[in-house]
Amino acid sequence: MLALLKRYRELILVAVLLLVPLAVFFAHAKRPTDRSRLDRAVVWLATPVEKAVGWSVRGTLDMWSGYVALRGARERAAELSKQVRALELEKQQLVSGRGEVERLRRLLGFAEAGPDRRYVGGRVIGIRLGTVGRQLLTIDRGSDDGVAPMMPVVVADGVVGRVHSVAARSADVLVLTDLNSSIAVRVERTRARANVRGLGKPDLCRLDYALRTEDMIEGDPLVTSGTDGVFPRGLPVGKVTQLERRAHGLFQDARVVPAVDVTRLEEVLVVVAWERPDDAMPAALAPAKVP
Amino acid sequence: MKPLAHVAFALLVAALQAAVLRWIGGGAWPLALLATCVVYVGLHGGNVDGSISAAGIGYVMDLMAGTPKGLMTFLAVGLFLAIRAISAAVDVRSRAAFALLSGAAALFLSLGATVLLRNVAAAEAAPGGGLVPRMLLEALLTAALAPALLVGLRRLDALFHREEPGLLR
Repeated sequence: MLALLKRYRELILVAVLLLVPLAVFFAHAKRPTDRSRLDRAVVWLATPVEKAVGWSVRGTLDMWSGYVALRGARERAAELSKQVRALELEKQQLVSGRGEVERLRRLLGFAEAGPDRRYVGGRVIGIRLGTVGRQLLTIDRGSDDGVAPMMPVVVADGVVGRVHSVAARSADVLVLTDLNSSIAVRVERTRARANVRGLGKPDLCRLDYALRTEDMIEGDPLVTSGTDGVFPRGLPVGKVTQLERRAHGLFQDARVVPAVDVTRLEEVLVVVAWERPDDAMPAALAPAKVP
Repeated sequence: MKPLAHVAFALLVAALQAAVLRWIGGGAWPLALLATCVVYVGLHGGNVDGSISAAGIGYVMDLMAGTPKGLMTFLAVGLFLAIRAISAAVDVRSRAAFALLSGAAALFLSLGATVLLRNVAAAEAAPGGGLVPRMLLEALLTAALAPALLVGLRRLDALFHREEPGLLR
């Protein structure tokens, strides 16, 4: 028997190696069992290899993406920077365009709100608000467009000034902050009369001829009274500030913050025709015309 | 000792294969490099140490592939026997022949596992004919990589080769 085993030991070994796994398979195929200690040990041995491969592959990929693949990155970055700058410029232009559209929309709304007036729109093409000389804006509309001296110039926020001198295709506008500018106004709340005169500073005017007896407080809005024959009635001029009522004297002192920031103007409207107070008056109340 | 080295080598190859396939294609490419190890053992090993090596490699396959215990061990030993039979009839020496045999071995293992699993698995979980194209791809890729693995296996065997003193080369 032993001799037989010795003689066929290879065959027996192979048969055992073949049949035992098959038996194990059929025994466990339908009832999967957990891994044995040996199984876990073998898998544990394989894990570092997998980790090492993963680490090497990741390292190689990182090196590739971090160094090799960055060839030409400087050129690409320069190109992209150029594109970014161009896009920034385009964006600035769009933002500026949007602001312009908004301003023009407001101007249009203002113009449509007073159908009794006719306007000529103009762009500010020059500005001289220095301390020496007059405070002037130059607009791109002139006598060819129907602009004439003394015509009021306004924006949606209020009065800008009046046309000072006119050329064929441009005009100088004396802004309300100029020392030579004087605008007849009323306090909107109390209808008290006064004059707004420029101080030569772009952000402040003076209130003249406001009687001490008039009801006036700081923050009161001032509108054109129309009595100066230059400006239509009811246009915003500014707000009363630094009001000072002395114990004596005929008038009270005050400063006026202009409704319009003349340093930021880009488009203006020149009022070329409007209904004068006399024209608006009913025929029965109108002064009799002397032949 | 030699079967143990073969099993260790198989374990290394299985781990490498799993890790590399994870990075290349995320598992889209099937590969059965351990079939190549069994083919090598079948061609160059003895009956005893070869069959033990084949069983060990099959055990590693079972572990790494997550198949039911014994399935790949049985198939690996069966493949070993088949390779022995083939090598008795045909002299496999070239790398191309080795690659061809490795591809066929991979296909044998896949088909064998499918057939056996169909007998024991529930009908809805049993592998079907839809896997055949993937098996063919696996065989093809295994055949393509087999010559590279052959170099490693030869170097491993060279470690156990002892020159007999007094013999002239």
